[in-house]
Amino acid sequence: MAVIDPHINIDDYEPEGDLVVLNLGPQHPSTHGVLRVKLWLDGEVCIKAVPYLGYLHRGVEKLCEKLTYVMVTPIIDKNDYLAPITNEWAINNSFEQLLGVTPPPRSQYLRTICAEIQRVASHLLWLGTFGLDMGGALGGGATLFMHTFRERETVLDLFEALTGARFHYNTLCVGGNRHDIPAGWDVLVRQTLGVIASRIDEYESMVHENAIFLARTVGVGVVDPVLARALGVSGPNLRASGVDWDLRRDAPYGAYGDVQIKVPVRTEGDCFARYLVRVEEMRESIRIALQLLDGVPEGPICALKPVKLPGAVKIKPGIGYASIETPRGELGSWVIADGTERPYRCKIRPPSLHTVALLPYLAPGNNLSDIVVVLGSLDPVLGEVDR
Amino acid sequence: MAEDVPLIPREDVESYARARLAEGYDYFVYCAAAHYPASDTGVDRVLVEYRVRRLPKDMLAFRVEVPTGETTPSLVGVWAGADWQEREQYDLVGVVFAGHPDLRRIMLPEDWEGHPLRRDYAIETRHPPWR
Repeated sequence: MAVIDPHINIDDYEPEGDLVVLNLGPQHPSTHGVLRVKLWLDGEVCIKAVPYLGYLHRGVEKLCEKLTYVMVTPIIDKNDYLAPITNEWAINNSFEQLLGVTPPPRSQYLRTICAEIQRVASHLLWLGTFGLDMGGALGGGATLFMHTFRERETVLDLFEALTGARFHYNTLCVGGNRHDIPAGWDVLVRQTLGVIASRIDEYESMVHENAIFLARTVGVGVVDPVLARALGVSGPNLRASGVDWDLRRDAPYGAYGDVQIKVPVRTEGDCFARYLVRVEEMRESIRIALQLLDGVPEGPICALKPVKLPGAVKIKPGIGYASIETPRGELGSWVIADGTERPYRCKIRPPSLHTVALLPYLAPGNNLSDIVVVLGSLDPVLGEVDR
Repeated sequence: MAEDVPLIPREDVESYARARLAEGYDYFVYCAAAHYPASDTGVDRVLVEYRVRRLPKDMLAFRVEVPTGETTPSLVGVWAGADWQEREQYDLVGVVFAGHPDLRRIMLPEDWEGHPLRRDYAIETRHPPWR
């Protein structure tokens, strides 16, 4: 694979056709948020891509310094807005590690089940929007989108039944959960996941034998595993490049130690491989969630006393890092505690930031229309890139 | 679960990083920085922490201390992932990485004044221009 220099000096380049500078975004629908990419095109082939971030920068890390540990969760919720439960889990994981508290088993199971059904919802949304990126390839593009969104809505209904909110649940706290499982919820989950499991086969039949879909994804945007590791790319994007690594299996947290986890891995590294890995992950997540649902232990859902006054949690001085596997990869938090009820410094390590960092390496050499597909296949969420 | 994180002198950090890369730590996790004002420990400084992995199981972190006004060597040449991470820490915490190929602001506008994650940057202060 040719080595691509993302810092190439454009003045030294001899264009064959017209040299065009094009701004992709920040409001372009294919950028999945507000990412702006400055592209230098030679004819229609990209020679340099420079992403500009920060359009969604809200200063979450600074806000964390001003909030108590209990008040951080609802703020963090909005980072990865397609998988809010994993944000809450990642940050509370770090707090609990520093505090030396382990959530009770029932809370661990509940968190794990929520994370897995959230993964299904997140991948469903990705599949639908990936179809939209492809436009005409999939019967006008919106067909797949409508189907996957119908199923995603049913997953959000499960969260609504559990926490009262479709999104931004604020259901985890330091030491456990806030909301216990309501009566009949497990029946609802089994029913919903059963329907989705059968529908995944339908999506595959819509996409797998579609010649245009294959032409646009197979061999496009190949990610080199060595580069991906150096950049810190994680999750499905890394596993599609042949790196067999999943935090759920290799550093079990929550209830993942109690289940067998099959990690889908592909070696091709192209957009189609990333699609295959995500679809397989959805099936695996459904299996894990259903398996855990059978063995949810009885008991309390929070290790600490229920917090009535914000600020009741104080953490002794220390620095810690803890990470979990979200639908997009390794989400971690580096937290410095100074003995007060507020974190001294809180750095979020978002998987999407490292994924977007791939773009300057992936875009050169591709057509403009392929860059849209490559970006879509990487599944970045700009909320957590910019924070 | 306290982990033992070594503090590396600034002049040795690049050779230390290369040695870790040679040992197989080729997965870059993050570079994070925290500002400690002089009122805390007497020296106004920034603590920088790098974390790398050797997949699938091993993880390692090391720290560098940078007094305010001085620089620390950039590790972009060792792990490509340090590029954006060091830019982010420069932007938000104000630590300067010497030898970084493209040390610009990444989250904030280019004409922004100050570095918000420093402890002396008050959150209540208004910072025009609003964008």
